[in-house]
Amino acid sequence: MQPAHIPLLLGAAVLLPLASFFVILVFGPKMGHAGKFAGNVATGAIVGAGLLSFISLFIWLGEHWPEKPHHGGHDEASSGEHGGQHDNGAGEQEKSGEHRAAAKRDRAPLVMNVAFHPGHIDEEPTADEDAAQHATDKDDGEHAHPVYTGDYYLLGQFGRLRVTISYYVDTLTVVMFCMVTLIASCIHFYSTGYMHDELHDFTDHEVHMSDGSHLHRPGRYHRFFQYMSLFCFSMLGLVLAGNIAMVFVFWELVGICSYFLIGFYVERKSASNAANKAFIVNRIGDFGMIIGLMALWTGLGTFSFGDVPRVDPQTGAVVKDDHGKVVLEPGIFSQVRPGKDEHPYGPERAHELIVPDGMVQAAASERVVAIVRDHASLFPDHPEDADAASQAQIEYETRGWRDQGYGYWLLVIAGIGIFCGCVGKSAQFPLHTWLPDALEGPTPVSALVHSATMVAAGVYLVGRFYPVFAPEVLLVIAIVGCITLFMAATIAITATDIKRVLAYSTVSQLGYMMLSLGVGGWAAGLTHLITHAFFKSLLFLCSGSVIHAVHTNELPQMGGLLKKMPYTAITMLIGCLAIAGVGFPMVIFGGHGIGFSGFYSKDAILEQAYSFMQTNNSAWSAIFFCAAAGGAAITSFYMFRLWFLAFVGKPRDHHRYDHAHESPKVMYIPLMILAFFAITVAWQLYDFMPESKRNPANLNLVYLLEQARPAGTEAAAFGKLLTGTWPAEHDSHALAIRLPVTLLATGTWIVGIGLACAFYWLRYLEAEDVRKTFQPIYRFLINKWWFDELYDFIFVRPVHVISRLAAMIDRRYIDGLIDGSARVTRWFSSAFEWVADQTIVDGFVNLLAAWAYALGVSLRQVQTGRIRQYVLFIVVGAIAIFILISFFWSPETPAR
Amino acid sequence: MMSLLAATAINWHSIFFLLFALVACFFALAVLFTSNIVRMAFYLILSLGATAGLFFLAGAAFVGAMQLMIYVGGTLVLLVFGVMLTAQQSFISMKTKGGDWILAAAAGGTMLVLLISIAFRVEDWRAGRPDGDQLTAADVEDTTRIGAAFIGVRTDKLDVYDDAAKDGESEPDAAGQLTLQGMSGYLLPFEIVSIHLLVVLIGAAYLARAKKRAPARSASTTQR
Amino acid sequence: MNLLTDPIGVSHYLAVGAVLFVTGAVCMATKRNALGVLMGIELVLNGANINFVAFGSKLLRSDSFGLDGQLFALFVIVLAAAEAAVALAIALNFYNNHTTIDVDRADDLKG
Repeated sequence: MQPAHIPLLLGAAVLLPLASFFVILVFGPKMGHAGKFAGNVATGAIVGAGLLSFISLFIWLGEHWPEKPHHGGHDEASSGEHGGQHDNGAGEQEKSGEHRAAAKRDRAPLVMNVAFHPGHIDEEPTADEDAAQHATDKDDGEHAHPVYTGDYYLLGQFGRLRVTISYYVDTLTVVMFCMVTLIASCIHFYSTGYMHDELHDFTDHEVHMSDGSHLHRPGRYHRFFQYMSLFCFSMLGLVLAGNIAMVFVFWELVGICSYFLIGFYVERKSASNAANKAFIVNRIGDFGMIIGLMALWTGLGTFSFGDVPRVDPQTGAVVKDDHGKVVLEPGIFSQVRPGKDEHPYGPERAHELIVPDGMVQAAASERVVAIVRDHASLFPDHPEDADAASQAQIEYETRGWRDQGYGYWLLVIAGIGIFCGCVGKSAQFPLHTWLPDALEGPTPVSALVHSATMVAAGVYLVGRFYPVFAPEVLLVIAIVGCITLFMAATIAITATDIKRVLAYSTVSQLGYMMLSLGVGGWAAGLTHLITHAFFKSLLFLCSGSVIHAVHTNELPQMGGLLKKMPYTAITMLIGCLAIAGVGFPMVIFGGHGIGFSGFYSKDAILEQAYSFMQTNNSAWSAIFFCAAAGGAAITSFYMFRLWFLAFVGKPRDHHRYDHAHESPKVMYIPLMILAFFAITVAWQLYDFMPESKRNPANLNLVYLLEQARPAGTEAAAFGKLLTGTWPAEHDSHALAIRLPVTLLATGTWIVGIGLACAFYWLRYLEAEDVRKTFQPIYRFLINKWWFDELYDFIFVRPVHVISRLAAMIDRRYIDGLIDGSARVTRWFSSAFEWVADQTIVDGFVNLLAAWAYALGVSLRQVQTGRIRQYVLFIVVGAIAIFILISFFWSPETPAR
Repeated sequence: MMSLLAATAINWHSIFFLLFALVACFFALAVLFTSNIVRMAFYLILSLGATAGLFFLAGAAFVGAMQLMIYVGGTLVLLVFGVMLTAQQSFISMKTKGGDWILAAAAGGTMLVLLISIAFRVEDWRAGRPDGDQLTAADVEDTTRIGAAFIGVRTDKLDVYDDAAKDGESEPDAAGQLTLQGMSGYLLPFEIVSIHLLVVLIGAAYLARAKKRAPARSASTTQR
Repeated sequence: MNLLTDPIGVSHYLAVGAVLFVTGAVCMATKRNALGVLMGIELVLNGANINFVAFGSKLLRSDSFGLDGQLFALFVIVLAAAEAAVALAIALNFYNNHTTIDVDRADDLKG
């Protein structure tokens, strides 16, 4: 098999779940008793897709073995100034190495359709063949970023705009395919056990009919698997999509599938509300996304991510230039980050982010109009000459306009718009409220939504669109991620519903990914996406197993389940250890760390945040790191709180405890598979392996993802509208950063787990006491920062008020104007009396007195006479002085 | 890990530092986390003893010895007396509320992070003295000098005085110049401390002397 | 850096001092036994003392404070002894008057 077959294999992997969907849609109810066979069909389809994905991965590895990314090697100044020196990206090689690549590789024309164009390969010629030539134009180590892109099918062509079904395959795509299909397969197997209630007639105890009985309905086993298949199809399609039109279609498909699945128990009011909420909240984000995509399309005139061959609109043939080379239509990525031959600022700044010509001209439209008008008046008799001349001048002037900053805002808006969509899908602040409610669906759905599909889509899209994001957009992403991760982590501390804890944990971890992407940690964020998918699906399936056994979600009613269900307890412990990022930092002894998968990805994120803080050396950049480190401690605390509450201690509800049992094999074997991956998926073995080409040690998740790093994002980036530096990611692997961060990260999980032990295992401290001491904070957290109430107050109530107002006006007219005006007069006079005399005059005097009194009372409370509190005041005061000094006093030479 | 295996020489000074530092920190934390007052006193002795070890390692042999004698031998004996005098069953172990623990831990943790990050921020402080193992005992032998400093003669500052003379500054005129160069020593503080100690002894004896309890006052306070 | 092969610096001493200091401060803020508070004070003073000695040590830095560090440490030790004596006397007095050693009961100065 050749690498050019990968798009075919992946395309088939996408279509398998779709086929399963249609088969179950048509034949579902007839498949055995209550559609029992539908589960096998859907599971078979996703397992098949998984096999195809892994075959693709192996083909890929056979062709492009990951190399060790070069770390360090160039100082900060050079990496910043000549950001795009490593011209190892997609678009640019196409020009320099096009015919070479073509000659070397006999590209099999994958004829699927007349309009299908041979997938062409953007890739670096291998080092041994072209070492001599590349030594001249590459000044430092490099590694290939191979990308396969092309069209499956042409839907339509409008001028130069081609709407196609296309693919864009790099390692990110392949790794996402493997992750999604593997997790989805496990969840499908698990579901065949979990959903067995639906195989016969089902009595829903949470739905009360008007006559007081419970709802009794036929089982919907086949429908569940039908939606699951569609869900997997949508997610895989989104990952494979090679243009923004396809992205948007699959994006919405993912949304609608989650709507179906969250509302699976449609008769329950809460479930249908949650489904509606998820869908509507996502609409808000998607609105921003449409704006962003339109801004991109307006400026760039193309939908496609990568470069595709230009096709003559009339003949439909591929355009070739005089030398017989295929002419390439630049895609989005090579327009915002042109290669060295196209870059307006010269080859040494290749792949640096620029505002594309189209956006500059769109922003400078007044100037463009003026030029066209001038030329039209100059050549009144020759309109075509005028057009040509004005076109030439516009192109000439574009560079000057770009230097003046025209169009930069458009690029920022496009980026923020796309990110808005990701905010909705990935449940970021302020649109995070839907995700916890989405627990109303069956637990396997929660597992799928929270790990591999729905929420992963947002992070994936940010990673995919990463080359388009200007530093200002990255700052927005980092801020949103930072707020999300901290807020959700604090809410998770007080939640008592086992799934709710996990849901807020998901929101928090997604915040981590966004934060990482926002401070420049592309590989770190996406690695965390993959590792998180494994341990979060594991945790959700474990919680499903617990719920299956004890028939309640409430942690206070569990306890002591370790003896009853050992497999679930142990696998869940592994999940908790992984999400807490437990590992041993061997770095103090000069080696790398070893630990669970979360250890690597969380450390990488913290390292990048630390590097960002060091580079910018300001208070606002320190907030990101502090929030991430604090969030890590909180994460390990609440995860172990969950585990201790559920599995150790004395059973708190004996009826439920006696009823509990270990789940069937079909449910706990997927747990073991996922637990295995939750431990090992991010293992980095390079410390223990010798260096060589085809080094097995290079086969790890980070290096694989590094292969897909968008061109130009290796280097540091600098904000234009604001001052700030986004340090290059490989700088964060320096020992000076890794050492303190690893130690700190180790400290955070020790503190978090230690606290959880002290509270919930050893009972050294009483949670009840703490709750009383922090009553206001507890109320704030248990009410989820009052977000639902806030949105209710801001958005829902005003609508009610306005509608009630309208109704009232109606009634007033019917009742008669005179009656109304008399009442208004009376009301006005009494209101005036109340407002002027009682409120303003009396109120002012009373208010002053009340303030003075309140001040006295509140100050009095500080004087408790307790020596221990005074000590605490001293400590807090000392810290406050430290912090104030660090804000207002900066040393002459900043300490780096 | 690899570099550990490849390490050429193990620095025993660092190893002993690690050992003493870990003992000191561990028993300090043990003091914090045990609620039994008798055990607290014992752990404190161990922690302060390990601190004395740290002093020895830093070359401050006299201070280390004083730490052992005054602190471990004197102050802590005093504390143990206090423990014995007040040791009623109800006061042996008193539990603190969880909320207080969390508050204190949050404030203390923040402070710890601040202090440690500051400690490691200064480049000069991070690495040890590379020629540290070439120093002879005479270089770090300070006991005599400390004694001299207490009676007002700073023998360790003589080289400062020599340097000033070498730089061709004006010929120092005995005592006045010495005072300017920081040669005053610690005679006055030493005297003040000795008076202070005397006052403290008298004060402590006065405060702690057995006296009749004021019945009305104690009754009203214990009921609160 | 490698803790086993490289010479340790002032920073490491400061870190140990910081741990003792913070432990002592937290001890003062959490112990209800007056003698526990006293032990916290001893820990705080020792943490500070470590810093003095570290800054004055010739083994750790060539341009150290010299003798001043050690002299200050000695003063601190002596004053700590004095402080312990007085504080113990106060604690005993408190115990005699209130028949308790719980500092939370000593809130006569409450506002």
